[in-house]
Amino acid sequence: MSKLNEILQKKFGHISFREGQKEIIEQIINGKDVIAILPTGMGKSLLYQLPAYMKEGTVIIVSPLLSLMQDQVEQLKILGEKRVVAINSFLPFQERELAFRHLADFKFIFTSPEMLQNEQFNRALKKLSIAYVVADEAHCISQWGFDFRPDYLRISNWLQSLNKVNVVALTATATKDVVEDIKKTLRMNNPFEFIHSLDRPAIAYEVVEVDNQQEKLSWILGRVTSTEGPGIIYTQSRKKTEVYAAFLREKGISVAYYHAKMEQSDRILIQQQFQQGHLEWICATNAFGMGIHKDNIRQIIHDHIPTSVAGYMQEVGRAARDGDQAIASLLYTSTDVEQTFYVSMQDFPEEQDIQIAFKPEYAEVEQAETTTRILKYWKERLNEQDTIQLFKQIKQKKWQDIQKFYSMIQNDICLRQQLLHYFDQPLLEKPIHCCSKCKLDVPSILGKRMKNRNDQVEMNWKKRLHTLLPL
Amino acid sequence: MHFHQILLFIIHKISGQRSENAPFYLLKGKKSGQTIQDVTYFQLHAFFSILPQLSKEDYDTAITELYKEQFIELKESTVHITDKGISAITQQKNVLLNGWQYRGKEHVFWKRLDLAVQTLSQFHANDKKFVPNQKDIDTQQFVKDYLIQHNFRQFNLSKEMKHELHLLLENPSLDDLHRTFFVYRLSGFNTIGLTWEQLARYHKLSELDAKIIFLECLHTMLDNISREASPLLYSLAKNIRIETPLTDSAFKTNSLLEKGYSLEQIADLRKLKINTIEDHVIEIVSANKSFPISTFISKEQVYEILHLSSELQTKKLTEIKNRLPEVSYFQVRLALTRSEQLHE
Repeated sequence: MSKLNEILQKKFGHISFREGQKEIIEQIINGKDVIAILPTGMGKSLLYQLPAYMKEGTVIIVSPLLSLMQDQVEQLKILGEKRVVAINSFLPFQERELAFRHLADFKFIFTSPEMLQNEQFNRALKKLSIAYVVADEAHCISQWGFDFRPDYLRISNWLQSLNKVNVVALTATATKDVVEDIKKTLRMNNPFEFIHSLDRPAIAYEVVEVDNQQEKLSWILGRVTSTEGPGIIYTQSRKKTEVYAAFLREKGISVAYYHAKMEQSDRILIQQQFQQGHLEWICATNAFGMGIHKDNIRQIIHDHIPTSVAGYMQEVGRAARDGDQAIASLLYTSTDVEQTFYVSMQDFPEEQDIQIAFKPEYAEVEQAETTTRILKYWKERLNEQDTIQLFKQIKQKKWQDIQKFYSMIQNDICLRQQLLHYFDQPLLEKPIHCCSKCKLDVPSILGKRMKNRNDQVEMNWKKRLHTLLPL
Repeated sequence: MHFHQILLFIIHKISGQRSENAPFYLLKGKKSGQTIQDVTYFQLHAFFSILPQLSKEDYDTAITELYKEQFIELKESTVHITDKGISAITQQKNVLLNGWQYRGKEHVFWKRLDLAVQTLSQFHANDKKFVPNQKDIDTQQFVKDYLIQHNFRQFNLSKEMKHELHLLLENPSLDDLHRTFFVYRLSGFNTIGLTWEQLARYHKLSELDAKIIFLECLHTMLDNISREASPLLYSLAKNIRIETPLTDSAFKTNSLLEKGYSLEQIADLRKLKINTIEDHVIEIVSANKSFPISTFISKEQVYEILHLSSELQTKKLTEIKNRLPEVSYFQVRLALTRSEQLHE
């Protein structure tokens, strides 16, 4: 057995590599810059984790999403790796000091783009021998990406301040333009490019036009009560997650809602209940999904037109991790385009917001975090008129994107093909269960729902305590 | 005790003396001179800082309901309890909350307990790879050290801990609802805790009420943990009780006072306003019954203020101060704070 396979088995508990993994890992070990695009759920983390055990030095992973960072640290710890730390603004001061002093003890250091500006951190980093730097969610680097993080652009200067170091860029969604952006910003030197097809053959796509919101609800009730989960229903408002959950519960479904306004402890409990199969369905806003490691999700339902194709792919990509057949259903009405545009523009700065931002007495007023972040970045680089112009363009592009998505679901062309085309990829092979435009026999995909589980058992604290601690 | 009951209880005490928002700041645990002194004036220690996450929206909804029920009314910008309100206060066996003592630290204990139970449960099932419910590093480090120190692989920690929990939960001050909420928030192997919404729905309560019931249980258990009867939980509750319940800043002022500095000197040294230092003194007096106040106010003045306060049936500073122009607001506050302690 090769050394790589041995590590794969011993450290990660897998028997064999998935398509492309071994090749990429070898390139990293050989000291090549790598840019890899793989769909969600195809083992991206392994790509940067495994080579660490074949190379001297520390791996630095720059990750723009705090929740993602935390999840990855947790996953590594579960694999038994103790030499792992997340250094971000949430780390308490004392912990941070301690970590800085012992940086060399860690094999994996996760950090945020913001943290790269911290002088003390950089001084400590300079003393390390760095195996390679990983830019996770690298599409956030691109200003054209759907979740541009200006802070991420600073990674460019930061990389220059280090001695020659290899860079690995990972993402699940990138068009050609974005890939070019990533290469440039990360100063990649003739990188090895691995572009996996973003197609997920095990997921069938279904789009259903209905007349109004009431029909969406009845459709959902019909589907969920007659077919098997587990599944996620994505909706756009917190209120709606609660409404759907209440209706489904009444029909005997074991279901919970999930949104960002819930306490963190409750969010964790819901995730765990779902993951362990105590809940069949989750009604959620797009806050749900990060860090869900559940292989057997069979259905993803959207009751709206998503604000971006990339976001949609990420959400449906949570289904069928086990490779078994799943279905993604999208319900819409003809007026949903306006609604979605409205939602996606909620946090977007208007012309007058930009004008105010350019006034000398401007202090950061109450605006959504994303807005403040992006506005602040451009304010340092452009004048008022150009900024206004730029935001007009972004807004227009957003509108076009949503329109494009709308026409994709409305026309007669294969949806799978169109989704891939959006990312400049061809559809190589059509699966049997493709999409509702290619003919889809839903009953043959979804199992028939048997009976409701009766989970309303009497609560008994003594029994429960004994279940928790059986001794 | 339900949320509405707590509000009525508090408003009964401050009736006609404070604004309708005073209970909000008290429940949130606002660290202002006013709120902290009110805790002592009106004997509201139980409720201080019990709901730090309480939103103004939820609070206002509850207050509006009380107005609608005519349990409370607004007169000259202070909130009053009505006769109807008084009769709506159900007699409590005793108040189980102890907010002044724990100040949110009870949740640190809870996090440790939650993670310890989860870990023991997982290890017992021989499933050592699990996602911890508690994410913060302090808690994880504490529990790790704790488990190792207690030799959790050999020693029968699990059994002993269950025994201690059982004993504390059997406390007759608690009822089955308390016990259920407490135990069902815990997680372990293949048994995940319930959310507030799930607990509340099952028992047809509001989420806020569910949280309060849980907190009553948590406080009562913490109150009764002892080195002798519950040694394991005792060491899990390390540094949870606040020995000197002072804010950090008041604590510094206290140290300087003990060294003999005057209020002006302390304000100078700490680059703080004299008002702030006076707030600290009120806080220190509230916390420490034997703290001498004779350097700030004479016995005669204390007597005069208290006499007036009972004559006018008020604890409103302005009313008292207007009748006694020679004393300062600070002195009125001192006298009122001390007087409540004499009644304890």
